[in-house]
Amino acid sequence: MKAMILKEFRELRRDKRTMAMLIALPILLLVIFGYAANFTIDDISTRVVGPGSEQVTAQLPDLFDVDADAAAAAQDTDGDTQTALDLVRDNKADVAIDTTTSPPTAYIDGSNLFSAQTAKGALAQMPDGAVTIDVLYNPDLTTAWVMVPALIGLILTFIGTIITSIGLVRERQNGTLEQLAVMPLKPSDVIVGKIAPYFILAALDMIIVTLLGVWIFDVPFNGNVALFGFGGAIFLFVVLGLGVLISTASQTQAQAIQVAMMILLPQILLSGFIFPLSAMPAAISWIGYILPLTYWVNISQGILLRGADLASLWPSFAVLAVMAVVIFTAAVLRFRRDLAPSSRRKSQKSSKAGN
Amino acid sequence: MSAWGARELTVTYGDTVALTNVSVDVREGEVLAVVGGDGAGKTTLLRALAGAVPAAEGEVNAPSLGSIGFMPTAAGVWRDLSVDQNIDFVASAQGVTGATLAERREQLLADTGLEGATKRLAGQLSGGMRQKLAFALAMIHRPPMLILDEPSTGVDPVSRVDLWRMISQAAVDGAAIIMATTYLDEAERASRVLVLDGGEILLAGTPADVMANVPGHVADAGQTTDRARSWRRGSRFKTWSPDEPVEGVARADDLEDAVIAATLAKETSNA
Amino acid sequence: MPEPLMSARGVTRRFGDFTAVDNVSLEVAPGEVVGLLGANGAGKTTLIRMILGLLIPTEGDLSLFGQAPSRETRARLGYVSQGLGLWDDLTVTENLAFVDGAFGSAQTPVPDSLRGAGDSLVVGIGLGGQRQLAFAAALGHKPELLVLDEPTSGVDPLARARLWDTVRDQADAGVGALVTTHYMQEAERCDRLMLMSRGVAVAQGTVKDIVGNTTATEVRTQHWQQAFTALNDANILVALAGTHVRAVDASEDDVRAALGEAGVKADLVPMQATLDEAMVARERATA
Repeated sequence: MKAMILKEFRELRRDKRTMAMLIALPILLLVIFGYAANFTIDDISTRVVGPGSEQVTAQLPDLFDVDADAAAAAQDTDGDTQTALDLVRDNKADVAIDTTTSPPTAYIDGSNLFSAQTAKGALAQMPDGAVTIDVLYNPDLTTAWVMVPALIGLILTFIGTIITSIGLVRERQNGTLEQLAVMPLKPSDVIVGKIAPYFILAALDMIIVTLLGVWIFDVPFNGNVALFGFGGAIFLFVVLGLGVLISTASQTQAQAIQVAMMILLPQILLSGFIFPLSAMPAAISWIGYILPLTYWVNISQGILLRGADLASLWPSFAVLAVMAVVIFTAAVLRFRRDLAPSSRRKSQKSSKAGN
Repeated sequence: MSAWGARELTVTYGDTVALTNVSVDVREGEVLAVVGGDGAGKTTLLRALAGAVPAAEGEVNAPSLGSIGFMPTAAGVWRDLSVDQNIDFVASAQGVTGATLAERREQLLADTGLEGATKRLAGQLSGGMRQKLAFALAMIHRPPMLILDEPSTGVDPVSRVDLWRMISQAAVDGAAIIMATTYLDEAERASRVLVLDGGEILLAGTPADVMANVPGHVADAGQTTDRARSWRRGSRFKTWSPDEPVEGVARADDLEDAVIAATLAKETSNA
Repeated sequence: MPEPLMSARGVTRRFGDFTAVDNVSLEVAPGEVVGLLGANGAGKTTLIRMILGLLIPTEGDLSLFGQAPSRETRARLGYVSQGLGLWDDLTVTENLAFVDGAFGSAQTPVPDSLRGAGDSLVVGIGLGGQRQLAFAAALGHKPELLVLDEPTSGVDPLARARLWDTVRDQADAGVGALVTTHYMQEAERCDRLMLMSRGVAVAQGTVKDIVGNTTATEVRTQHWQQAFTALNDANILVALAGTHVRAVDASEDDVRAALGEAGVKADLVPMQATLDEAMVARERATA
């Protein structure tokens, strides 16, 4: 018995992936649910626009973090004054209060579910007739509206990383990758032939999930379909690239699944679709900002719910595009190295000739 | 002298019959080689003797599990443990302690040539080294019966000779050994051979008996007209025939010829 | 002498500080079956991977059909890997169809032994069937050079004989073959052998050349147990063959002395060592 336990610990100590799963994951979950998962948000980004904004700001509970300088700046620009509605659509604030109406109107961004719920509750407790509440984009604060755009990304991530890496590693594990390498196939044929099926599968799934979301959950599709498809394609290159990278670093399918899970789980928790990143401590939220799913959630919620256009979403598009180029290129180069070592031949020959 | 083994043993997995009516003796001081291809029933027979699969018919006579050393195919060592830790673990599981353990550890390391590598992980050893270690671990409690499932498969010839020396030593010391192998040159050196094919006994006896008692005849000639019943040995052809051959010398030169001839004879009688 | 299909001259491959293949030269001519022998880790696999173009030699020259390994040379080469390289989730015919597609070869027929199993998944046809299929897949495009890495491990003797018939038939038709094996009887079916140890080619030639002067002495006695123990204790390489004891690469005087010390009376019969015994003797001498 003792020997068995001892042996088990000795083996586990050397199995780094399982150890990481066993230790890092619980810690990660603990930290997230302990600090980040406060469903009542205690910090809501707010703008107050219009005459007498100072008085209105003073009346608001502390919960609302009013950016007074930005509000002043917005007022000063002539002609192009951003209305409260613009501020919410462009995701510059979770709540924007327009003082030109009487009583002032508080526009709440319903696509940011938990912030919106908290804001609505706090505003409703103010004295009667102090503000009129208008929840935009998701007036009933329906969870599905917020979840579906993000879930599309999650499913794409699942297919792109886990399924793709398993499929590629199977080839390595069975020794058929070597067989492919000794056939007179071009490496590019092998790479495209291996990746394209997963790209197609994932794209199909994206369409199906989007349609189901619209039909079953009445998720609105307020924005441009082509823009949505373009964003989806960029995001797919990122996650497929991750899957290929995982496969080049794994010898067995079990290893690939473990690594893919390590990439997948933080995306579920930290990409901002369950818990808003702005409500997380900075120590955690920066992780969210390096996850591709975060940007996809921003793009898909923006297009579907808020009808946002490229002009307001371009930073997310840009980040995803850079990720796609870097990750996918690295993945293809590593995959190619497994298939065709001859690409290094020339450099070796020339260095030898130089000696 | 007691003889362990099986009497008219039949083993089934669901609807699949893995072994049909197999009788075998495993005697002290002897190595019995069980020969056959993938799916012939070698592993099933060994597992039945170890009590790991039940007999559908017939009976198995083997010592209690504590008196058996079992070495499964391509396993038997813990790859993430060092050589020393492997020895500790198996010794402790088998209740080998104190001075006995110290003496057997020394012997094991000398036999396997692992003296300088006790801190190495078993997974980092070469295939041959690992199999030698696995064998030494299987017999650390000096069981009277050793069941070895393809201990030498995939092991290079050099390590195989070493491994065979260790197995021979165990037999010399009195153990009853039954081992599966796909190498006929190895089987030829065993005390007795049991050739399985499709779960049935094809041939059994000492290597010399098996070669002498091949059904039909094996002719050795420079040419053949019957490719279906012939096989090449070097630049020459061996041809099996149920009757006395017209030309060439009739004999099975080694176990390989004998097994091929017996397989062809079985195919002919089944056809 | 026809131009060799494969020619390695002074080929070396290092991985960091480790030299896996050290200055090896080997040729395979048309119609010739060359056996590659050696312990695990002797460098056989690394050498084969270089010939296949999967690894680049650190030093030395390697040519296939008179040119550097490339996509064109791969089209003229047939390879059966140890793991067979079949797609488990494809059927027999689907496997062949894929290979035909990759090589641009005409429809490779399902081998005779698998007739009727064309629609079976590869996992369902047993190891013997899988080996037949891997051979058919490797031969479909009529390669000029075959590279076979332990092509028959795990199959029964008749199936092994059939696979070797295929290899010899190919050789008769002018195809060259390079075969690694752990079966000594297979080694004896090769025209020529190369023995590798620790990355170095330690011997080349026929079985007779490699066994060379290595001798074995068969010790015949009723007290074979004592004889075995006595020789083993005297640090003589010893093996059991039935109830005979074989002392390898030791002089008759040494054997007699060791037996005398233990008080064992025996008849000594000098014999030629087997190929594997000769390999061990070499290994012990260089260790």
